[in-house]
Amino acid sequence: MLPVTKIQRFCTKDGPGIRTTVFLKGCPLRCVWCHNPETQSAFNEFFYSDNLCIYCGHCASVCPANVHTVTPMEHVVNRMSCKRCMKCIDACPTGALERCSEWLSADKIFTQVMKDAAFYGASGGVTFSGGEPTAHAPALIPLLNLLHCNNIHVAMETCGYFDPAILPELVKTTDLFLWDVKDTDERRHINNTGVSNRKIIQNLIAADSLGAKTILRCILLKSVNMNAKHLKGLISIYHSLAHCIGIELLPYHTFGVSKNGLLGQAEIAHKEWIPSSEEMKQAESFLREYVHIIHN
Amino acid sequence: MIFHTASDIPRPIRLTDSTREWAFASLHGKYGDEAMRTPCVNLDHIEKFEALPDTEKYDIAIRNIAENAPVRICPEEKICGAATLGDAVYHIVPVRYRGEAILDSVSHLTIRYDKLLRKGLTVYAKDISKRLEDKTLTDSQTAFLHSLENVIESMRIWHGRYLAATKNSRPDLHKLLLQVPFSPARNFHEALQSLWFVFSFVRLCGNWPGIGRIDWLLGDYLKNDLKDSLLNESQARELLASFFIKGCEWIQSNPPVGSGDAQHYQNIVLAGIDAAGNEVTNEVTFLALDIVEELAISDFPITVRLNKNTSNALKNRIAQVMRHGGGIIAVYNEDLILQTFSNLGYSITDARSFANDGCWEVQIPGKTDFSYIPFDALQILNKVIGITEENIPAFHSIEEIYAAFCDQLYETVKAIYVSSVTQKFACKKGIWQARNTVIPTSVVSLFEDGCIERARSYYNCGPEYTVRSPHIGGAPDVANTLYAIEKLVFEDKKISFSELVQALKNNWESQEPLRVYVKNKYVYYGNDSDDVDAWHTRLLNDFADMVEYCNTQDACPVKFIPGVSTFGRQIDWAPNRCATAFGYRKGEILSGNDSPVPGTDCCGATAIIKSYCKADLVKQSCGSALDIKIFPASLSGSNGITALISLMEGFLTLGGFFMQIDTVDTQTLLEAQKNPQKFKTLSVRVSGWNARFVTLNQEWQNMIIERSSQNFM
Ligand code: SF4
Ligand code: SF4
Repeated sequence: MLPVTKIQRFCTKDGPGIRTTVFLKGCPLRCVWCHNPETQSAFNEFFYSDNLCIYCGHCASVCPANVHTVTPMEHVVNRMSCKRCMKCIDACPTGALERCSEWLSADKIFTQVMKDAAFYGASGGVTFSGGEPTAHAPALIPLLNLLHCNNIHVAMETCGYFDPAILPELVKTTDLFLWDVKDTDERRHINNTGVSNRKIIQNLIAADSLGAKTILRCILLKSVNMNAKHLKGLISIYHSLAHCIGIELLPYHTFGVSKNGLLGQAEIAHKEWIPSSEEMKQAESFLREYVHIIHN
Repeated sequence: MIFHTASDIPRPIRLTDSTREWAFASLHGKYGDEAMRTPCVNLDHIEKFEALPDTEKYDIAIRNIAENAPVRICPEEKICGAATLGDAVYHIVPVRYRGEAILDSVSHLTIRYDKLLRKGLTVYAKDISKRLEDKTLTDSQTAFLHSLENVIESMRIWHGRYLAATKNSRPDLHKLLLQVPFSPARNFHEALQSLWFVFSFVRLCGNWPGIGRIDWLLGDYLKNDLKDSLLNESQARELLASFFIKGCEWIQSNPPVGSGDAQHYQNIVLAGIDAAGNEVTNEVTFLALDIVEELAISDFPITVRLNKNTSNALKNRIAQVMRHGGGIIAVYNEDLILQTFSNLGYSITDARSFANDGCWEVQIPGKTDFSYIPFDALQILNKVIGITEENIPAFHSIEEIYAAFCDQLYETVKAIYVSSVTQKFACKKGIWQARNTVIPTSVVSLFEDGCIERARSYYNCGPEYTVRSPHIGGAPDVANTLYAIEKLVFEDKKISFSELVQALKNNWESQEPLRVYVKNKYVYYGNDSDDVDAWHTRLLNDFADMVEYCNTQDACPVKFIPGVSTFGRQIDWAPNRCATAFGYRKGEILSGNDSPVPGTDCCGATAIIKSYCKADLVKQSCGSALDIKIFPASLSGSNGITALISLMEGFLTLGGFFMQIDTVDTQTLLEAQKNPQKFKTLSVRVSGWNARFVTLNQEWQNMIIERSSQNFM
């Protein structure tokens, strides 16, 4: 079984062609800029959208833990005591309460992602994202195998932080890695994600030596990692890889913050980190001389 | 001078500045405004006009139009002829007698042009006089043939006026007119002039024909010219651009607001196979795409016939043009349509020649008298379940409801058959013909195969085929309703049937939690969910069977065929429809054509296509249209092109019929609503035709904005 937060169809930004992206919950990193906060924790969580709530109180009446206090004017959610039984979600008529994830079997996921097989054509397929898909390697690899055997192109978005022992299996069944290289500066990496980047880079090089095709996905945050040193670091990583097809630059955005709110978390938007399109272009043209840039 | 695009990539520039400027002026209403200043030709001077028989009135009208319509020759144009009378823009024969318009015109057809190009108009005159030698003709047949002669004579008058007007000032145009349209076209330029001249005259007389397969009509001429180096590609593009720009001559700068002005059914069909089964795609196909891509011209809605063998180069070009937005290009599944036509008994050569009626309903061009009869299936269901009635009937299962609904659906289909076929056509002396006198239609009849041979007009079984098509509207709404009742009442037992109907009668008032429950917790048509899609499939199959059954109950050769559409009627219907079991309140805008109800589709474009394709669309012989709106952001980059091509390929594999993809983002539309002046050329495709967004009234604009979008990044 795998904890799936969403299976999204008709994705055009998560690898080549039309793709179905499977988001898995749980991640070993804690990036301060995370835009899918619901995928960080491996726990069952729920979203609450106040603008959909009609204050009917159905949730409060089924909740065993008094998490919901609903008056005709207001709905207060006190998640501290939540037992994660998900009864309130089923009782809510409006979708104001929504599960963040569901445990699905590999077969079930396979059936879901095969629904769009007619649209995958020569290039499209399935992308695993998250959270960190490799965090579920034992349950995930059989699914990857199944897709591989059915000639479905598999891409995996990974933060690269996993046990290298799974690499051979992973590389065998994955056609393309969208490999996050968040920062080449180790200290900053530790500060902003909670872990060192060493293992990530080592895994990347090891994957490459096994023949893994990669696109490096690099988030750029103004006044954090948007400097020549980091960009040069990216260039040297790119050149140390034999099978890397290019670098994709991703500007930091604050859309994910809206989800923090839905999870009952503080909404901290680092507007000052958002690079302007001019700055993105500058970074791109700096890199372009040395590496292939992928636009998506 | 900006030609609007929804994409972040600007439209390419290939045409000369003066051509582009001319296009810009035309798109902004220069010539449409001019036409409005000369709305019609006055017939008050005709003595005893009122007492004349209709055919004579018509003949006089056509001749007077030819003699008096203003002649316009734009300095930039490379072919000439212009439909300069304003009433024609409103589908009226542009003559008035004592201030009143008196004659109706014809649309929903594509006339035959290939014979005209290859043989010239003179041949038609010969065919008619030969036919007139037949001593067995009735008086009305003779009068009809004379009326056809009158059309040719009128065209000669009009042609003569253009010859005179171009003689000194425009020897280039003059030279063309010396040859065409009366004699055969000898090269691409002449063929283009011939095609435009006749199309333009037919339009000038108030009719709205489609163009049909322009690449098939003109491709060989261009091939030869290119081979003989008479023309190069960019010269050919300039010439063809004249055709497209002149086609915008009915756009007004401040048109009356309504359901859109760019809907004169001047449709173009590109690519696909010819009568011999060879792919048509040629230089003209690509030049036509170049032009609409550059100039954002939406007045010739283009539908491309895709098949298993369509080249990647063509699909790529289609995707590039689609991405600029405006819904200028839609696609047909040619293989499926040919199958449909073979089931209908068309010969393989006729079938392969298919184009459309100027909208998307497929037909054999130049051979078909076509009309369709729309009805609202949701209202039938509402009546059956008692929402619109005093008493609520008792039903104990969804099957009982569906059976009762089918009875009423069949009554509707039968009534349409009776009123549009049985009461209209009869077999007299072994010949099927119109029961009653029909309106004169000589201008289009001249260009329909069979009318001269049979000496019968367009509405009098003159053409090879007469087709009447009931069109089911609200099919997705009915499927959603049946599914919601099945779940809510009979499976989840959340409410009794009569309580539910009462709630719907009360527009869901005091049942808000239940309303949002059905709206949010059930999955409806357009999300690739088998349970609800099965209702949609079943409904369409049963409807098709009912139509076919009617068709087989007598010997009448009129083809009675099913289609699925609303063509925007969901707007007109909304105020009279009731609240729905799937959680929509009275007055909300529901499904358009065969597309999901706005706001119910949340799985993206692929899921919509899948839901739609589950139905056996080969049975919907008149067609079933799917409208999809995609945000440009998800189509950016080279992968956007790949994605669009994959959508088209999936649509073919899964058995779709007709699909139009519009790529306009809500933000742009909202801005256009606020600043119409800035967005004059922004076009969107509404259920089968294009419209300039700013020409739509608020309700229409809102509907387009609401149409759900697939923006997953
Ligand atoms: S998940 Fe269970 S415990 Fe938590 S809020 Fe909902 S009903 Fe209460
Ligand atoms: S059940 Fe849903 S709509 Fe009702 S009060 Fe709870 S969250 Fe709001």
